[in-house]
Amino acid sequence: MAPATAAPRAPAKENGKAEATIEPVLVVSGLRAYFQTSSFGVEREVRAVDDISFHVGANEIYGLAGESSSGKTTLIKTVAGAIRPPLRVLSGSVVFDFRGRRVSVYDSDPQVMDEIRWKHLSYIMQGSMNVLNPVRRVRHSFVDFAFRHIGRKMPEFMDIVRTHLQRLHLTPAVLDAYPHQLSGGMRQRVTIALATVCRPEFIIADEPTTALDVIVQNGVLAMLRDVQREIRSSIIFVTHDMAVHANLCDRLGIMYAGRLVEEGRTADVFKAPKHPYTAHLIASLPRIGYVAARKGLEGTPPNLADPPSGCRFHPRCPLAADICRRQAPPMTWSSPGHRVACFAAATGSAQ
Amino acid sequence: MSRVLRDLFRYNREFAIGIVLLAFVLLISAASFVSPYPPNDSFVVPPDLPPSWPYILGTTSRGQDVFWLLTFAIRNTLLFGFTVALLSRILSLVIGLVAGYAGGLVDRVLMSINDTFIVIPLFPILVLFYFVMRDRMSWALLALAMSCLGWAYDARLIRSVAMSLRTREFTETSIFSGMSMRQILVEEHLPYVLPIVFSTTMNNINWSIGLEVTLSVLGFTDINTPTIGVLIYWANQHTALVAGVWWWILFPVMLVIITFVGLFLLAVSMNEYIDPRSRLSRVGG
Repeated sequence: MAPATAAPRAPAKENGKAEATIEPVLVVSGLRAYFQTSSFGVEREVRAVDDISFHVGANEIYGLAGESSSGKTTLIKTVAGAIRPPLRVLSGSVVFDFRGRRVSVYDSDPQVMDEIRWKHLSYIMQGSMNVLNPVRRVRHSFVDFAFRHIGRKMPEFMDIVRTHLQRLHLTPAVLDAYPHQLSGGMRQRVTIALATVCRPEFIIADEPTTALDVIVQNGVLAMLRDVQREIRSSIIFVTHDMAVHANLCDRLGIMYAGRLVEEGRTADVFKAPKHPYTAHLIASLPRIGYVAARKGLEGTPPNLADPPSGCRFHPRCPLAADICRRQAPPMTWSSPGHRVACFAAATGSAQ
Repeated sequence: MSRVLRDLFRYNREFAIGIVLLAFVLLISAASFVSPYPPNDSFVVPPDLPPSWPYILGTTSRGQDVFWLLTFAIRNTLLFGFTVALLSRILSLVIGLVAGYAGGLVDRVLMSINDTFIVIPLFPILVLFYFVMRDRMSWALLALAMSCLGWAYDARLIRSVAMSLRTREFTETSIFSGMSMRQILVEEHLPYVLPIVFSTTMNNINWSIGLEVTLSVLGFTDINTPTIGVLIYWANQHTALVAGVWWWILFPVMLVIITFVGLFLLAVSMNEYIDPRSRLSRVGG
């Protein structure tokens, strides 16, 4: 297996969002995580995360986009250290820097990771509506998940929880409710409250608003942003909904078939996408006043157990050249703060 | 909890009847504590008297008062049923939850033991157990043996629920927050499976009492501790039916049937309460 090619780069100095990128809180380099299964003697390897490097700055919201089965959830599970066999990390590193305290997820003691979780790093799982145990009151979920990490006495902890809920415009009465007594939006808010009650420096959010209607989704997103501003944490935000990314994220990474294909400031990516896949993602968004039918991209994402040679996007790519079939394009800087993995991108914008 | 019980009593006829029947049985077994005669003394009253005052259920051919004997018998029988149910519940909960949660090799080993217990024939094993133990046989030993044989079905049931719980988000979040396996099983999964356990407990008590009665009637237990089965065993030994002492057989049988029906109705109503769909249809939602 080739060694990780993209070394962790010092974040590019940019104009504008300088304070967001002074020191990265998270540096992921050359991360490979495969599902390795063996049943009835047949070995199977699904390359869900393949050679991914990126960083997230302090106080920054980093968006991860891509269609279903592009490896978004696997990537952030690996980043959070919440992986179980058959998913295994083959190479690469995930290093957090919590205000001077460096923690490498895959080189640290389990105790260190245990201590970090929730207090410094929290993770809102996919299907976050179901994070609360359906047969226990919401209070118990707070106690079970967060109490051990906050390092306070119980009455003090409950006070903190109540104040925190009020700050998120939830009545403390939800603590005595069962999850099914709350609406979907409230459950989502409670889940976010649960993830942020210890004021972590880093929050990983996996599609926390997917099951909600647009109005409620907006409310939940505004709340998430408010919390982020207040406790000054960084967020990795995963969703396939490009409109949410456009509204929320400072920087955006686009994933395709287990690889990062483009990364840049959200405005730049939307304005001038460099990768043909990104261009198609953005072109599929509806716009007010534009009446022509939206065109979808032909084909489906590749099977990650047997990915195409070279660039994984080439079978669906309108710009595919010979080199794309033979060689995987490296991630290169197209402009300061904007990276893309495409041979054709060198010749100009993909639009 | 008390409100739930009150509502069940008021609106669920099965539950109300079941509770009344069980209360009656418990009352009778409680009467054993004020019995004027020790259970194993014989010829304390005139033998073979039909039901009449002061011997309301008659007397046996061994000169025992059937009513007072019955209070001891039903107490021991109930105690037996509860002991078996409790022990086998603990076994099935631990094995079911661990197998379902851990999966893999642990699951395969536990479930192959489980399946062994499901397929082996219980009755011959228990008879064999009696012949091995003989004089050392006591009801506590029999209870232990039966709880070791009675957990398998429910462990499989609990495992199937635990397997689904393992993949839910709240389990993943528990793992992420650093809870140990024991904490996850006890605090997150146990509350989820408890209602199932409650309803199977009733069935398990019924099963164990039935098997105990069968074994005792045939004399394959400690016949010196009065239980319902032992009572019938002694009645048969004295050919009560041929001698016309029908009250010696009839009343124990009736009492054990009342116990069965009461427990069965409780299990049924409990099932209905646990299943939210039937609860809703009752409310009219």
